[in-house]
Amino acid sequence: MIEQLPVLLVVVPIVGGAVPLVASLVSNRSGWPIAALTLAVHTALAGWLAWAVGTGGTIDYAVGGFAIPYGIELVVDGLSAAVVALVSAVALGLLAYARRAGPRSNAFYSQYLLLVTGLSGMAVTGDVFNLYVFLEITGLAAYGLVASGREASSAVAALKYLIIGTVGASLYLLGVGYLLAVTGTLNMGDLAGKIAAIGYGSPLVLTAFALMVGGLTVKVALFPLHTWQPDAYANAPDTVSAFISALVSTVAAYALARVLFSVFTVDFLTAVPVARWTLVGLACVSIVAGSALAVSQSSVQRMLAYSSVSQFGLVVAGFAIATPTAVVGATVHLLGHAVMKGGLFAATGVIERETGASTVNGYAGMGGRVPVGAMGFSVLALAMVGVPPAIGFVGKWYIVLGAVRAQIWPVVVVLLASTLLTLAYFAKLVERLYFAEPTIYEGEDDAGAAPVADGGDSPVSTGMLAVVVGAAVLAVALVAAVPALEQTLLETLPPLLDQ
Amino acid sequence: MSTLTLVPPVVVVLATAILVGILPRKPAHALGALVPALAVPWSLSVPAGTHLQTTFLGFQVAFLNVDEFSRLMGLIFGIIGTVAVLYSYASDAENVQTAFALSYVGTSFGAVFAGDWLTLIFFWELMAVTSTLLVWHYRGAAVRAGFRYALLHGIGGTLLMAAILQHYVAQGTFMFTGDGITAGLPAALAAVGIGVNVGFIGLHAWLPDTYPRPHIAASVFLCVFTTKTGVYGMYRAFPEGNVAIAYMGGGMAVFGAMFALFQNDMRRLLSYHIQSQVGYMVAGVGIGTTLAQAGAFAHVYNHILYKALLFMTAGVVIYRTGNENLKKLGGLAREMPITAVAFTVAALSIAGFPGFNGFVSKGIVIAGAHYDFAAGPLTLGTDRTTLEWLLLLGGVGTFMSFIKFGYYAFFHGEYDGSVKDANRGQTVAMVAVAVLCVGYGLLPGTLFSILPFDVTSESVVSHVYKTYTVGHIVEGLALAVAGLVGFYATKKPLSKLGRVPDVDALYNPVAFYGMRALVYATTDLYAAVDRAVIRATSVTTHVVSEPNEVVRRLRASAQDDDSFAYPLRAGIGFSILVLAVFVALAMLALS
Repeated sequence: MIEQLPVLLVVVPIVGGAVPLVASLVSNRSGWPIAALTLAVHTALAGWLAWAVGTGGTIDYAVGGFAIPYGIELVVDGLSAAVVALVSAVALGLLAYARRAGPRSNAFYSQYLLLVTGLSGMAVTGDVFNLYVFLEITGLAAYGLVASGREASSAVAALKYLIIGTVGASLYLLGVGYLLAVTGTLNMGDLAGKIAAIGYGSPLVLTAFALMVGGLTVKVALFPLHTWQPDAYANAPDTVSAFISALVSTVAAYALARVLFSVFTVDFLTAVPVARWTLVGLACVSIVAGSALAVSQSSVQRMLAYSSVSQFGLVVAGFAIATPTAVVGATVHLLGHAVMKGGLFAATGVIERETGASTVNGYAGMGGRVPVGAMGFSVLALAMVGVPPAIGFVGKWYIVLGAVRAQIWPVVVVLLASTLLTLAYFAKLVERLYFAEPTIYEGEDDAGAAPVADGGDSPVSTGMLAVVVGAAVLAVALVAAVPALEQTLLETLPPLLDQ
Repeated sequence: MSTLTLVPPVVVVLATAILVGILPRKPAHALGALVPALAVPWSLSVPAGTHLQTTFLGFQVAFLNVDEFSRLMGLIFGIIGTVAVLYSYASDAENVQTAFALSYVGTSFGAVFAGDWLTLIFFWELMAVTSTLLVWHYRGAAVRAGFRYALLHGIGGTLLMAAILQHYVAQGTFMFTGDGITAGLPAALAAVGIGVNVGFIGLHAWLPDTYPRPHIAASVFLCVFTTKTGVYGMYRAFPEGNVAIAYMGGGMAVFGAMFALFQNDMRRLLSYHIQSQVGYMVAGVGIGTTLAQAGAFAHVYNHILYKALLFMTAGVVIYRTGNENLKKLGGLAREMPITAVAFTVAALSIAGFPGFNGFVSKGIVIAGAHYDFAAGPLTLGTDRTTLEWLLLLGGVGTFMSFIKFGYYAFFHGEYDGSVKDANRGQTVAMVAVAVLCVGYGLLPGTLFSILPFDVTSESVVSHVYKTYTVGHIVEGLALAVAGLVGFYATKKPLSKLGRVPDVDALYNPVAFYGMRALVYATTDLYAAVDRAVIRATSVTTHVVSEPNEVVRRLRASAQDDDSFAYPLRAGIGFSILVLAVFVALAMLALS
């Protein structure tokens, strides 16, 4: 049974995703329970898988029984198990938010489950072409979800996301094509050996690297390839913002790490220093530019979106440094950022529904009117800044430690400065929330608030608040899981990190 | 393993802080006063050694490390925590403020009982956060000052963290080894990072900027913990001392006292004196011998007592009159005799008048500078060292500024109308601390018994210290006379002096406009590139597809275009262009 778990993680949500469409014939309100059931099963399977990988090591599965490396292989090691567990948990948790907040059609839940399929598939696959397929599934579902908002701006943002994202994915596919041409294989493990045999200096290999990493960088949304991301995050419905900000770029960054470590390997980065330094440089530019752009925003959701640009710079820097400590740090920050950023977007949704405030100035004095939402927002913001003992501190700490041990001092300076830069925009928001005179008063926002559906319901449900509070608690509680994660990563990743 | 070492004090105090925030006002403050009081017997009886060792984030750490230095810090923190909570209650502080203050107290306990650098920096940063919240809670002008405070302490903490990381790389452990921080760059970074907390000249502007602004009871907490924990951290980093730090201490003593003399806001004046007094402690730590270190920590202990007392008396004056400015006060001695007496005790203590506790500890530091330190360039033909002269000069400045404070607040002229004296709670708090100030001054043996080194034993210190010798008393009286003469000589010009600019007049605008310039430069550069590329592209396509129209347009004036309204939002086409250029550059770089 354990060997089948990876493939079940893909099959369960895709089957579950088809059901609401059929069920629409009977009832248009059946999407939520079906999604909840499917994701509960998915989460149980993912938890089981993570436990199995934690205790028993890497799990392989050959799809359809075809011999490896000709058939598609699914490989789950510590990194992928952690990412897939994150996907399950966040998707399941956000359902509590979606019940009141989200688009309520059955089609929405089908897309939701389709997105989970794509993300899970990206996490478990061990085949570069299969990764492309799941990348496209993820992309298509995400474009659709962004477009499900009611405003015209959602459609424009989705179109922009679609065009840029598709070009990025196509570049990745082009890179895969070069690799196939030069090695004749698509299996990641097989590729690693054959690329080493051909030699890291081969122009085809280098071109493939540039195309694949370039394509994935678009999906991760590093500066200056981030242009789709603020529009998509800020214009999507709140549930979707929280969902895609938590997971889509996260899994893309995971795919980038997978390509770096499992396909090209650390030896490639060592043999071609310019590749490593380009990535590190890009990450550093992203950290500084993302923060600077975030500071200059007036809309809170756009600020959070630019903050992601900066935080993914940190993650990619950790992966590109590629020492065990830095990779552990980057993984912790990758997972921690997903929880924190998803929670922050969820909190902005709560605050906006409750009061109509969506800009930095509008947030003034909202600490008193939306106590739970504002408290959750503040805790998550401080966690993101890296105030101990939150998960944001642990991730940054390991990345900085990795950079110090690798003696890359300019990166250390940027990483430490990034804490100050993050503080610059989050401190402004927390100060507005609690220490400023309100600019929006009770009653005057009625016209601006989201329309209340179903008559007398309050715009914010207990489930939505629970998601915000849960994210805030997780942002601290996840620290307890770091030692186990570190051990699993170091046990299952050594072939990649053995320098 | 004793039951006393099961739980570190920070946990208990932080739990108390939460309860204080929830409970009704009276029981909350009773609990808040009781718990720090328990730290007093705990500090005296907890067994020495390193307890509660564990691994955290994969590193060995110790949450509870007890030696004579941390014991002394815990003792005085406990005493003053209790008094300050009582004073808060009597001064109408809100529960939430006292809760913030106790969380600040708790994290300070965490820092001084840390057994390794990781735990120390952890609580060090939390102290900055909790104290910022304490300042912010007062709203108004305190908010902006709190921002500057947080920013400067963020920079200082980051420097210290960088020092600690390099120390780790060099030593392979975060635990205290007793040898201080690794020499070279880590030591320099640590000195500057800790220097922010202790108020090195040039890094001190946050002190007079922040401490006068919050609630009067919040100032009593603030004046105690951050700077003294800084002195403690300085000792941990430099247990062997450092000549440059010693001279910086001497400079701070003079600089702080001089700027204090220029001030008319009571709490601002007192804040400059924190810098001046911490200068004596930093000098003691910098000298680095047992005598000087004992003196430094004796001064930490005494300073906490009389500086808290000074902030309490200034607080009572503000509480009763609503006025912060010495120019608008006067003649209060007749109206508020208890406060005036408490102030006099505190002022004589801080100035080092014989019979008061400041005389004892300042004397030890000066003795350290005299016997254990190089003569330096300026001995003025005597057997005194340069550092000693600096410290004595700081003493004269201290006398002058406190004569000024007392004269204008309590003795000069008459106060219009009647003012009530301190209320009962405030009186109890002030009298308790005043009694300690006098007690330690008259019975220096009780103070010596809690110092980390026995200054009366020849086997421990280079020169046995005796408090009441003719030479010392004459020195103390001479400083007082010099201060008195100096005050009358400068009274006129000083009263005409406006606000004297400090270094923050320079770096506040520099930081503000620098940050603004960075943000604008990035966004405008991006916008400019965006505009240029889009315009070039659209012009090109337009010229190619509609040549006739372009010719016609050339005659008419240019028109505005809506698509440029959002300069930061790159269009789809531009984004694809950036992507293409990026990948092309990457391939060029790799090939």
